[in-house]
Parts: sequence; C-alpha cells; structure tokens
Amino acid sequence: MNWNLNTENYYIRFANEHDIPSIYELLGSNNVVKNHPKNPMAVEAQAMDEARRMVMQFEAKEAAFWLVEEKTTGKVIARISLQKFNWINASGQLKIEIFSEFKTPSILAEMIYAVATLAYEDLSLHRLEWMLMAEDAEFIDAAKTFGFNHDGQLLSYFEFEGAWIDYQVFSLLKTDSSWQQAIKNHGFSESI
Amino acid sequence: MKFVANVDFNGGQLRPLDESDVDAIVKIYQKQTLAGQSEDAIKEHAERMITLSVQMAATQRGLMWAIDVDGQMLGMLSLYDWQPTSLKTVMRLDTLPELSQALQVDALRTGIEYLSKKYHLRNFSFQCLPQGDESVIAVIQTVGFEQQARLRDFRRISQTEYSDILVFNKIVEPAEAVSLEGEQA
Repeated sequence: MNWNLNTENYYIRFANEHDIPSIYELLGSNNVVKNHPKNPMAVEAQAMDEARRMVMQFEAKEAAFWLVEEKTTGKVIARISLQKFNWINASGQLKIEIFSEFKTPSILAEMIYAVATLAYEDLSLHRLEWMLMAEDAEFIDAAKTFGFNHDGQLLSYFEFEGAWIDYQVFSLLKTDSSWQQAIKNHGFSESI
Repeated sequence: MKFVANVDFNGGQLRPLDESDVDAIVKIYQKQTLAGQSEDAIKEHAERMITLSVQMAATQRGLMWAIDVDGQMLGMLSLYDWQPTSLKTVMRLDTLPELSQALQVDALRTGIEYLSKKYHLRNFSFQCLPQGDESVIAVIQTVGFEQQARLRDFRRISQTEYSDILVFNKIVEPAEAVSLEGEQA
C-alpha cells in the first residue's frame, strides 16, 4: 500500500528528517494552530519531537500524518492527518493544519478527497469525523460544502488557557450520498 | 486501600463491587449476553469486572458502584473514560427492573454530587443507543442531562452494520458543586 499521495497540485506525503524546519514553520504559526486550539511552537526542537511522535503514532496504528507539499514551489503548506483510528468501529478523526492563505475550498477539497479516498478504500474506514471550533468559519464552511454532516457538539472537551473548549462534530460516512457523488466526480464539489 | 467510597442516597447506597456480586452482575448484564456464550464464561466476565473495577478506580480511569437497596444489588452506576485532567467522564447506568426510576434518579444525582465534590469532575456524559436505551434516557434527562450530539454510525454492531450514538451531557459548574455541598451540611 502506498501511503504517499499524488494529486494534481500537491504531494501529500509522509515527513522525513529534512522536513523539521517546515513543520516548525507551520506549527509555529499562531494562525495555523489557534483554532485547534494549541500554542504555536516556540523552538525547533518541538518540531523534531513532533516528527518523532508522528512516526510513533503511525507505527502504533493510532494515526497517520501527511505533509502537503505544493508541486510548483516545493513549499509545505499544510499537515493533514487521520487520528484516533478506531479499528473496531472503523472510524478516524480528520485534522488539518494549514497556512491561512491556503485555506481555500479548492485546496481543501483536493487534499481531503485524497486522504478520504485512502481512508475509505485502503483502510476500510466507515466514518471520518472532523472536530472543529465554532469560530473556525473557513473549515466549517468547507465541511458543509463537502457534505459532512453536523452531528452536534461535544461540550467542554478540554481546557485551554483557562477556557473550556467545545467542539462541533462533523462526520462523513463512506455510504453518504455526498461521498458517493464525490467518487463519481473524482473530487468534492467546491460550492454547495 | 479502598478506592471506591460508600455513598448513601435517598433509599439506598452506592458501594464498591465485591466478590459476592457475581450473580447480580450476571443478572444485570443478562440482557446483553451474546449468543453462544456459556454461563461459565459470563460468570468469569463478572469476576473479571469486579477485579477491573478496583484497578480502574485505583488509576482514576473509571469507577464502578453497585446500587444497593435494602441489601440487594439492583444495578450499577459506572464511570468510563474518566479523564481527571479534563475533569470529565463518561457514565453508564445498568439496572434491574426492580429498581424504580425514582431510585435511579436519586442514585445518579447523588453519585454526580459526590464526584463533583470529591474529584472536581464537571463534565458528565452518557452515550446511549437511539433504540433500547429509552428508560436510561428518561432517567438522565430528569437529572438534567441534555442531548448534544447524534454521532452517526459511531458504533459498529456487526460486520456491516453500525448504530448512531446519542451523546448527553451535564456540566456541573464549581459554584453548583459548592452549593450542593452547603445544602447537605
């Protein structure tokens, strides 16, 4: 099975040792991490640690992480991951960290479609969920546009800097008509 | 060392599981017995559950209380996925038909009050099936739980079938816990 994906405009690939500066640049940006929410990285050693954890979680079959590299520039514009694999219930959680200038429907459609195809076809998952903060308007719009269903909210999921964080839960099932339509069209529609 | 406290409620007591509870646990879980499962295996699972209840409580990963009324175990109130750092836990209520709804409500309310005072837990949740859990849903709604999400096809029930899960939450703010403490003093 090939975990490295190749879309029209991006290499969606696993990280290697040369990616530490890119991971640091991405996760050191407050705009990228503020709606997850977490603090931006402050030193490059954190990126090295993060890269190690990505490998460990993949080897433990808990998660898979991809960096999204723009073909024309070679710039890493995002990290997309499937986390909290539940092999019994055939589910996983989608997570995207992306520079704000690339947070557009067309770019998100391209990367999510590639990873969702692998999740449903190669990993035989049934349910992908995307947990988002209500403030994250671009991701919420994208989730709705691509046909994710709003399942509800998980209240006070955890505490961050003195505030309790609620997550809005969106899900996309392999059997959803929106996904079946995406397969027929070889991609998500970028408008509702 | 005792990791699970005895907590009195109006009409009964929440108490730790002990070895004499095997038959009652088997009876409580009988409805969920899998086809082909032998009686010996079910008893073995109940014994394992009692051992696990101590281990879970000792590491604050979970907790299991027997619901005792007039010296009879009529149900269980349990905590799973207890996350002390996030002050939250998932709960489960399993009862025999003999345990009235009023007693279930009192047991649950008292358990939550105890957990919020003792462990400062503030976020309690139940995960219920849309079909089959109606009586539990009636009890938890009486105690103030509200449905916050319906997670589609969240639980696999066979090789090809899935069931939605209803998520109910109750948030107990610290001020509320303190006032409950005051009322009891």
